[in-house]
Amino acid sequence: MGERKVIYSTCKSCHGGCGVKVTVEDGVPIHIEGNPDSLTRGTMCSKGLSSIQHIDNPFRLKYPMKRVGEKGEGKWKRISWDEALDTIAEKIKESQEKYGKESVAVSQGTGRGYNRYIHRLARSLGTANVISPGYVCHSPRLGLYGLVTGYGRLYCDYHGWGGEFPKTNIMWAKQLEISSADSEMCNWFIQSLDYCKNLIIIDPRASAYATRATLWLQPRPGSDCALAMGMMNVIFNEELWDKEFVENWTYGFEELRERVKEWTPEKTEEVTWIPKEKIIEAARLWAIDTPGTIQVGSSLERQANCGHTLRAITCLMGLTGNIERPGSMCSWVLPDTGLIEDFFLELPLTEEMRSKIVGVDKYKMGAARTCNPDTMVKTILGGGEAPIHVWISVGGQQIVHMANTKEVAEAIEKIDFLVQVDQFMGPMAEAADMVLPAAHWLEIDDVYDMHPRFFISAHNKVVDPPGEAKADAWIFNEIGKRVVPEHWFDNMEEMLDYQVRKGHDGNMNWKEFSEKIVNGCWGQDQIYYKYKTDYWRKGGGFPTATGKFEFYSKRLEELGYDPLPVFREPGESPYRTPELFKEYPVVMSSGFRQPFYFLGQYRNIPWLRSFMEYPMCQMHPETAAKYGISDGDWIWIETPRGRIRQKCRTFPGILRGMLMATANWFYPEEPANNYHGLFISNPNVLTNNNHLDPMYGSPDLTCLLCRVRKCTEEELQENVFQTEEFGTVQKTVDDLD
Amino acid sequence: MRWGMVIDLTKCTRCHGCVAACRVEHFLPLWVTWVKLAAYETEERGAADITTFPVRCNQCADAPCVDVCPTGATSQRKDGIVTIDANKCIGCRYCVIACPYQNRTFIFSWRDPGYFPGYPKTRYEKKGEELYPHQKGTTTKCNFCVEKIDYGLANGLTPGIDRDATPACVNTCQARALTFGDIDDPNSNVSRLIARKNAFQLQRVLGTDPSIYYIDGEVGGKDNKAPEHAMTGIHIQQKSTVDPRSKRLIEEGRKEEE
Repeated sequence: MGERKVIYSTCKSCHGGCGVKVTVEDGVPIHIEGNPDSLTRGTMCSKGLSSIQHIDNPFRLKYPMKRVGEKGEGKWKRISWDEALDTIAEKIKESQEKYGKESVAVSQGTGRGYNRYIHRLARSLGTANVISPGYVCHSPRLGLYGLVTGYGRLYCDYHGWGGEFPKTNIMWAKQLEISSADSEMCNWFIQSLDYCKNLIIIDPRASAYATRATLWLQPRPGSDCALAMGMMNVIFNEELWDKEFVENWTYGFEELRERVKEWTPEKTEEVTWIPKEKIIEAARLWAIDTPGTIQVGSSLERQANCGHTLRAITCLMGLTGNIERPGSMCSWVLPDTGLIEDFFLELPLTEEMRSKIVGVDKYKMGAARTCNPDTMVKTILGGGEAPIHVWISVGGQQIVHMANTKEVAEAIEKIDFLVQVDQFMGPMAEAADMVLPAAHWLEIDDVYDMHPRFFISAHNKVVDPPGEAKADAWIFNEIGKRVVPEHWFDNMEEMLDYQVRKGHDGNMNWKEFSEKIVNGCWGQDQIYYKYKTDYWRKGGGFPTATGKFEFYSKRLEELGYDPLPVFREPGESPYRTPELFKEYPVVMSSGFRQPFYFLGQYRNIPWLRSFMEYPMCQMHPETAAKYGISDGDWIWIETPRGRIRQKCRTFPGILRGMLMATANWFYPEEPANNYHGLFISNPNVLTNNNHLDPMYGSPDLTCLLCRVRKCTEEELQENVFQTEEFGTVQKTVDDLD
Repeated sequence: MRWGMVIDLTKCTRCHGCVAACRVEHFLPLWVTWVKLAAYETEERGAADITTFPVRCNQCADAPCVDVCPTGATSQRKDGIVTIDANKCIGCRYCVIACPYQNRTFIFSWRDPGYFPGYPKTRYEKKGEELYPHQKGTTTKCNFCVEKIDYGLANGLTPGIDRDATPACVNTCQARALTFGDIDDPNSNVSRLIARKNAFQLQRVLGTDPSIYYIDGEVGGKDNKAPEHAMTGIHIQQKSTVDPRSKRLIEEGRKEEE
């Protein structure tokens, strides 16, 4: 037996945060499991555990490369880091001089602990054109929570620190049980169920607990705002609101009451397709059995009425006093290392920068800090002056997750200089001019901080990255140093020290923190009912303009939006576009997520791909039968934008008359010339980018109309895939050399 | 002493964590899996039932696989665990056919192309060949992480209670749907669950007396008072710190509440 050592770290395979324990023998990781002495008590899911296979994937990018063929031709040449970084710095400066600082964009995928670097790089370069998937994931929630309560981060208190767990737990378009994305961690939620009186699932398809929950509502996709209005109507009619909280701490109660008057249970049933008895029951449980929490899923933010949907849901929380109470919606006291976002907030976002954000004039909430990506696509395709010339893309694949893939691909091909930082050659990398190899979380030292905010923890390097792959943070620092050295650091250790410096009364450094692994504030150190103290405001109150929880928002009114929540139908729906509905009679959502994949990731990890080889869509057996479709059939899903094929899985746990497609699917094993099969099964080929949320600019990704039919025998004989078996044909970087 | 497992169908989220943890623990070849998740999805009179059954070798008390093995490669230990001695296995696959639960897998030589077909074996795979070899042409299945159990017992640990003596799937389960212990001991964690929660064995009618039990129920209906041991992070509370900027406000807040 060789020499063994154990290294503790933090998982980042979804948004992450689970404690990890890795055993290394002679420099090779031979075992991975959860760290029992962590906030997640030694548990881990399939994504995190498969990292041990992921890191040795022969398709990992190992060296910086520049494109030598046409875009999508897959011809690359290895270059040195110096050449890569110098070229990038040069392109940035050139673009800044020629087209202005705003012509440089920095983008990210879903938050993976690099958000703060992205924003710091952008701000230090003098641009606010950050392209982030935030507008379809989490940002609207934070923005609307901020608007109503004065602070942007409301979490579900699954922790019991105040002596109570949530009595009523609502899971709204969310499967927190399968990943720790967006807010709290999966296993905290599951643990809280041991102490829960009512679990209410709001989801058109059955998630893990749906058929055993106290109540399960299946709304028509895109009608969630109506459901929230209907529930409030019941609470008003039956006088179930929290009298003390509403009386003392809220603003605009009467106006809200007036607004939801029309949302009788009957009308709500008609719009949402949920039986009114269930709506009434849900409202009663929520209002009577307090404290309670509502976990919101990002499916609601992938709808073009997301602003008001989130506002309505937040009002539901306030109406029942489920704010800052043990077991309700809370914000957390920070650890002594402070707010991690200070790392970029310390660089100001000037009015000048803000005014140049793409979409700022239209999407006043969403494009106040980041670019509206759909507007960018339309502007580029519109033939006018391109708003973005240099694009540094890290981790994310806008080409996969944005609405209307064909248009997005066309626009991205027109970018003058696109750099992709990634672990693999994906569709976005194939459209780039340069790719930089990124390290996996087992291969880096970094500070982990995602959503819960009451702790930070350490990623401790377990193994060396393959070839010359580097940590994202190193890449940001090196680019930053070459253009705006005054805002960046001499080396990585200095940058890490800087981020934890406030800990231990200003004495903490990276090394100390990395040994400690977790630095947090929980248990007795957390406080509830902050609005009753001087925490936000002398004499008590919320940090809003009125000092109250705002049902009625003057700020929204000033921005030209409705100050009260209002329901709007999705861009394409049975009621808004009845003519289209005749031709496309199935309501479609691209909200189907599997526990072993995360967004567009992991289809190239054999252990995980073995769980689902091809993209599945779900339909109720009766709906499928109506179109002659049986379980296991490959089917065509069509909208006015195009068609894709997925395999149909008939599923009795889904609303009749709808189809739920697996999102963000491409085939990593497919070659570069079809963008790794990007157009074969990705539901964004079908989604519409013309109808966006007025506040956030979010498109309807989870509510549209489609039609379906079974693939014919001839069509199944066609050569759709160029790769016979997963993993056998794709060229690795070594082959390219 | 008879090792057994109780699986709570109310809790399983179909996350596949147990499948992955098992693969990690035993360096399983790509298409071999000891733990499987069986989806049960039906609808009766308008009410859907969506259930996931995690299945693995049942370590049956009266195991047909033991009876049919011509060489004695498959045998049963005193603690009920059914093991396979790959050196004695001749690959006849009688056991694969005999297992009524289809929980045995044959390692075909042609079906072991490595994790990344066409590419050299990874570092982890090579280590596995050395540390936990799987012999092609033999049968394989779940062994309740027997190595961990033996290690634990030799070191004074209790399987099902102490992590280092407990199967990997049980340790990793985020929903804590799996409980492991001695089903012969009426006071063990598993026996108490079986007695209290109306536990059942899969296809009891087959008469093999599995060591794996299932329990089912509703979510909810509980009291929401939080016992201290259930609070997040309470077991590592000494690591907790508070931002000095917040300290003063917290103090003031506490006074206010009192």
